[in-house]
Amino acid sequence: MNDNEYRVVWGKSGLYTLETSAWRTFRPQIDYSKCVGCGTCLLYCPLCCIGKADGRIVIDLSYCKGCGICREECPKQAIDWIKEAR
Amino acid sequence: MNTVDYLASREDLVSPGISACQGCMAELSLRVLLKCLGRKTVLVVPPGCMAGAGVGGWNKSMGVKVPCAMPQLGNSASMLAGIKAAYDLVDPDVHCVAYAGDGGTADIGLQALSAAAERKDNIIYVCNDNEAYMNTGFQKSGTTPHGASTSTTPVGSLGRGKLNFKKDVPMMLAMQNAAYVATLSPSYMADFVAKVQRAAQIKDGLVYLHILNPCPTGWGCQGSRSIALGRAAVRSRYFLLYEYRDYRFEISAPTRAVREPLDVGEFIRGQKRFAHLAEADIDEIRRVVQQRWDKLSRLAAE
Repeated sequence: MNDNEYRVVWGKSGLYTLETSAWRTFRPQIDYSKCVGCGTCLLYCPLCCIGKADGRIVIDLSYCKGCGICREECPKQAIDWIKEAR
Repeated sequence: MNTVDYLASREDLVSPGISACQGCMAELSLRVLLKCLGRKTVLVVPPGCMAGAGVGGWNKSMGVKVPCAMPQLGNSASMLAGIKAAYDLVDPDVHCVAYAGDGGTADIGLQALSAAAERKDNIIYVCNDNEAYMNTGFQKSGTTPHGASTSTTPVGSLGRGKLNFKKDVPMMLAMQNAAYVATLSPSYMADFVAKVQRAAQIKDGLVYLHILNPCPTGWGCQGSRSIALGRAAVRSRYFLLYEYRDYRFEISAPTRAVREPLDVGEFIRGQKRFAHLAEADIDEIRRVVQQRWDKLSRLAAE
């Protein structure tokens, strides 16, 4: 590709990504005995790294910055806060 | 479809790792905005938090999966108007979106924005209002509220924070006959998504969306509290959610649902930028909040 050509990202190549998972000191973990699957955490996660799979809420920790919004907003207190071992 | 399933089913068009702070609401707003608008979008991000976080990209990589350009701070609306004019020849359904900070909207970019409203350019101009120039180190902007301590309005033996009041940009654009004006808060996601979807349908003029995005780093609070702060801002009527369309104001459901408003002090407490405020200063803010509510309810009643 010519340097002057304008590009649009398709797929992962050419996408600027930072390994933001290294920032966190705590990581969220869903306690499925308490989780009712309301999706409040999914709405408010600033990284949109919470998704739904087979009707269950799942957290993808690969970019999670550990801000704690999911834990703060969870109406059932179903998110445990676990210190990262580093 | 409810909001949760809708957002879970949409593709995230922003890079998964951008260097926005922990608990950044501007990042959430941008992701949800692009989820709703979809791939047929061209983005313009002037210098500011989101451009600095890498949305505009570094070197030859990009921070979003849609075409994105970085205009100068003052000309995002006029550059976007040109882009829109070119796309109108190819495909008029392409959404041309600017995601500017409050400095790039209320202060530096206001002339270009106001001219675009005058020309009725069909662009979607989104203001990410975090109430100061957060990207460069918390300098005060036109939308910084009264009394807030910033690096250019410091608190000391003489200074008591910002002296003036917040500039009301959405009202300004509504009075200038933009086709659609709405104020949004990421704490009320169903309302947020509905307004973005409505904005995407409008084809007869400038669309202006004003989002109050709590900024944990600049406002001085825990990152986990930013959604709660946004909610407190709406519940205390510090930030009013409304729409303007066809010469008519309509107060949105979350603000209409506030029967007994929370004390503004509740919103102010817990933010470091307001930590120095005495009760008299908070009264001053209460007075302005009440004035704005009176004005809006009168406009909406007509």
